[in-house]
Amino acid sequence: MMILVAFTVLMGLLALAIPVAAAMGILALVLAYLYSPLPLILAAGEITWSASTSFILSAVPFFVLLGEILLRSGIAERMYAALTHWVSWLPGGLMHSNIAACAMFAATSGSSVATAATIGTVAVEQIEKNKYHEPLFLGSLASGGTLGILIPPSINLIVYGVLTETSIPQLYLAGFIPGLLLAALFSLTILFACMLRPAWGGVPFKTNWAARWRSLPDLVPPIVIFLLVVGSIYAGLATPTEAAGMGVIGGLVIAGMKKRLSFAMLRDCLEGTMKTSAMIVAIVVGAYFLNFVITNIGLTQKVNSTITELGLSPQMTLLAIIIFYLVLGCFMETLSMMVATVPITATIMVNMGYDSVWYGILIVVLIETAMITPPVGINLYVIQGLRKRGHLHEVMAGATPFVVTLLMMIGLLVLFPGLALWLPRIMSGR
Amino acid sequence: MEAVLAMVYRASRFGALFGGVLIFLSALLLGVDVVIRKTLNTTIGGADELAGYALATGSALAFGFALFERTHVRIDTLYGLFSVRLKMVLDLLGVIAILVFFYPVTRHAYAVLEQSAVSRTRSLSQLGTPLVVPQAIWVAGLGAFLLIALLLLARAGLAFFAGDSNTVFRLIGPRGALEELEQEIGNVQKVSEEKEVRP
Repeated sequence: MMILVAFTVLMGLLALAIPVAAAMGILALVLAYLYSPLPLILAAGEITWSASTSFILSAVPFFVLLGEILLRSGIAERMYAALTHWVSWLPGGLMHSNIAACAMFAATSGSSVATAATIGTVAVEQIEKNKYHEPLFLGSLASGGTLGILIPPSINLIVYGVLTETSIPQLYLAGFIPGLLLAALFSLTILFACMLRPAWGGVPFKTNWAARWRSLPDLVPPIVIFLLVVGSIYAGLATPTEAAGMGVIGGLVIAGMKKRLSFAMLRDCLEGTMKTSAMIVAIVVGAYFLNFVITNIGLTQKVNSTITELGLSPQMTLLAIIIFYLVLGCFMETLSMMVATVPITATIMVNMGYDSVWYGILIVVLIETAMITPPVGINLYVIQGLRKRGHLHEVMAGATPFVVTLLMMIGLLVLFPGLALWLPRIMSGR
Repeated sequence: MEAVLAMVYRASRFGALFGGVLIFLSALLLGVDVVIRKTLNTTIGGADELAGYALATGSALAFGFALFERTHVRIDTLYGLFSVRLKMVLDLLGVIAILVFFYPVTRHAYAVLEQSAVSRTRSLSQLGTPLVVPQAIWVAGLGAFLLIALLLLARAGLAFFAGDSNTVFRLIGPRGALEELEQEIGNVQKVSEEKEVRP
């Protein structure tokens, strides 16, 4: 009964377009009123203070700021052009550059929207020039962009880590192999499509080794940011939050070298950062208070015992959860979906013996799928917004093969948990 | 009333930028701290604690600005199917919902501040920060957030009774995914245009 009330109230509030942060807070107030003899609201001040002074969480605005700086630093154009020399001999040409550039940018950025927007801006003008099959080209950008949150750094993995008390460095390590594998699978998807329909691959791109070597210096800036942010964590130099701070400094230096740094540019960066960060922190505050109430009234145990009573095996539960996220992901904004559900589903899965690092990666891949499944797929809108013509349906059609690829990736993660867990295991020697 | 709204908007934007500067400075401080820790074998000390305060105060100061800019996430999948009148009602309900949750949060946040002031609480670290300082900014940010919500509710409420749906949507309607991206994309394109001018 309690579970039903909680679920109905939350879904009802969200369906009525109540701001997500307030929806979670109000659900908490309702649950506390109905099921707790104690005035749990008294703790709201203390909980909000401790949630919003969390050192780990302060990495989030740093990564948002780094993204804002890189977006305006102009590194993406040169990087894209350089990668084109290296990967576009494959059937499908520049579409492979789209994936490679997204993967590389993802290694400096913690956000999928930022990745799709940055690479998309550079790439869309190539469609007509080279006569590509437009839907597939757009689909490759929308789906390549989703790599932003899987390849470390990742804002979503930080939020997951904070909500489930899972180590962020372990989560980042776990994201590497699935991230690179997924990028390779995206490229294979393009390859297959273009072998079936050679006309989709556009005008072949001509290059030579001299041009390739000449292009290499343009790859240096993203690699430097990656080493600063991700390398410093594993070299034992910095915590994820400190590494994000170093990334901000690195981004400023690069923007300065490219003569893009100005007072106005910095003000725009900070304004954008604060809008996003305030939104995220408000949701996290709501989620923290909701978690506190849920734990206090024993809802989590109730969910667990209900599942045990249902006699669901771990495999069946996993399948049910995957389907739940695939369906919910079609309709719901992804960060809200994650923050509202993960505290409960992660507890269930860990109780059933699944590893919480592995589950974090699974959740991120499910979120990536949600970003390109209609009707609500943020990356579809990003790419459609960039090209400013045609219909959204074309982007949706072009993203469909990549949705299939993501479903395969989910299957691979389930069948071979080692894809995520092998690297954290050998690095920590457990 | 429009003049008051415009003034409060400018103030909230200033507050958000001030919060942004706090976060920016704490990022720099942390980055520099790592470098001197490894090269000079010493540390600034307490940079991590300050980053936490920057997050709490900075984001609280930006809550109101985010409300003005309508960036607090709402799930508008069903919303899009409703009639104009129902949409307006839901927009008003959204602001009321924010007040319903964040009013008690702010009241109890104030209690936390009061407690720190009375018992002169300092953080358990080498900095020994008097917690009153960051907590006062934090409560001020939350309080401003409530005031902004009230102000927007009042103005949009008047517009609702006058049947002025444009004003309601402009003030408190959800920011459609497209609208938000147009801005984001505007930023990117501004950058590429600048590049074309400057070879």
